[in-house]
Amino acid sequence: MSIETRSKFQLFPSHEVNPSPWPIYMSFSLLSLGLTLGLLMHGYILSTWWLILAISVVISTIFLWTRDIIIEGTYLGGHTIAVKRGLNIGFLIFVGTEIMIFIALFWGYFHSAMNPSIEIGCQWPPVGITSIKPTELPLLNTIILLSSGATVTWAHESVLSRNRHNALLGLFITTLLIVIFVLCQICEFNSATFNITDSVYGSIFYATTGLHFIHMIMLSLMLAICTARMYVYHFTATHHVNLETTILYLHILDIIWLFIYIVFYWWGC
Amino acid sequence: MLRQTLKLAKPTRLFSTSVIARNSVKTPKKFKTAKNLSEVHSEYDLIGTGAQKGEVPTDLEQATGLERLELLGKLEGVDIFEQKPLDTSRKGTMQNPILIDSYEKYRYIGCTGSPAGSHIVMWLKPTVGKPARCWECGSVYKINYLGKD
Repeated sequence: MSIETRSKFQLFPSHEVNPSPWPIYMSFSLLSLGLTLGLLMHGYILSTWWLILAISVVISTIFLWTRDIIIEGTYLGGHTIAVKRGLNIGFLIFVGTEIMIFIALFWGYFHSAMNPSIEIGCQWPPVGITSIKPTELPLLNTIILLSSGATVTWAHESVLSRNRHNALLGLFITTLLIVIFVLCQICEFNSATFNITDSVYGSIFYATTGLHFIHMIMLSLMLAICTARMYVYHFTATHHVNLETTILYLHILDIIWLFIYIVFYWWGC
Repeated sequence: MLRQTLKLAKPTRLFSTSVIARNSVKTPKKFKTAKNLSEVHSEYDLIGTGAQKGEVPTDLEQATGLERLELLGKLEGVDIFEQKPLDTSRKGTMQNPILIDSYEKYRYIGCTGSPAGSHIVMWLKPTVGKPARCWECGSVYKINYLGKD
């Protein structure tokens, strides 16, 4: 390759992104979602249509932003080895912040549970609270999550060994398992005998399991995107950052769930 | 105030003209995929052949653009982005400076002496006309200009 040809291409491996409307668009749509949720839950807004509007704006922004990243990475080839490493490190740091959020919530739980105050009857769970039995739906949820970890590993191994059929099947089953988990959680939240306003127990319980629940919804979206991208031949055997980050996310949420199960459902019942 | 804002916000190009602009670009319908670096002449040579039906593609089949250029370089053992550190086996002198390949007319150089790490980083800016000399160890760096003009 001549020097003249080389000078036609970018000289450095980093990816210079174009001006994009999505960050500011995403910020405002999330602000709208947060405000709507808050106002709706405290009875300042009475119509859920505003919530549906806010959620659909968030989802459409996710869709458009992801589309742009896919164009830059898969179709224009902007993701060189250095960029891929940067994306992976960025996601790792993001996962670190997630773990810190959950550590804070666990801290809050132990603070209230290990030395129950006089107001809640000096016992944990507080007087009058019937906690959820760990051997019922939560155990099923744990089994579902652990098996989703197995199927996603199978899917990843299949991608690495270039077996498209198994990869698609593995990703599809994983998505399905996560969706089942989300449905089971909705079931559990609906049939629980306490709610978020019932003492510190209800507050910390729903704050933590609810946050995990929201993450699982996000994870099912990410897995669905991965399955679709696998189906349209976006992932190569060695370049699939989207899949790698999704798998990391799944495993981290698995581990956090195990801690939630042990502490919130088992130890704290 | 509002009029000024509207004037600023007026799009430089309408959506309908964007389509005309997009269609006027002469993108070839068929691509010649470069097998190695010497066959690369333009960005259109850097488009992979695509995946085989029913298989997970490899990078060599599917990568495009800069990613493919890097991959082709790797196959030949060429570091396309020249990320290796500069030669620190000797000190550059005015007669025999350390040459720095560059497509720009200046570069920023971080000198840590010879051997590397002998002193803290000193940032230098050699230009095409003027080599730079480190004020800590006296090593000289000169631009080896590879650009056109």
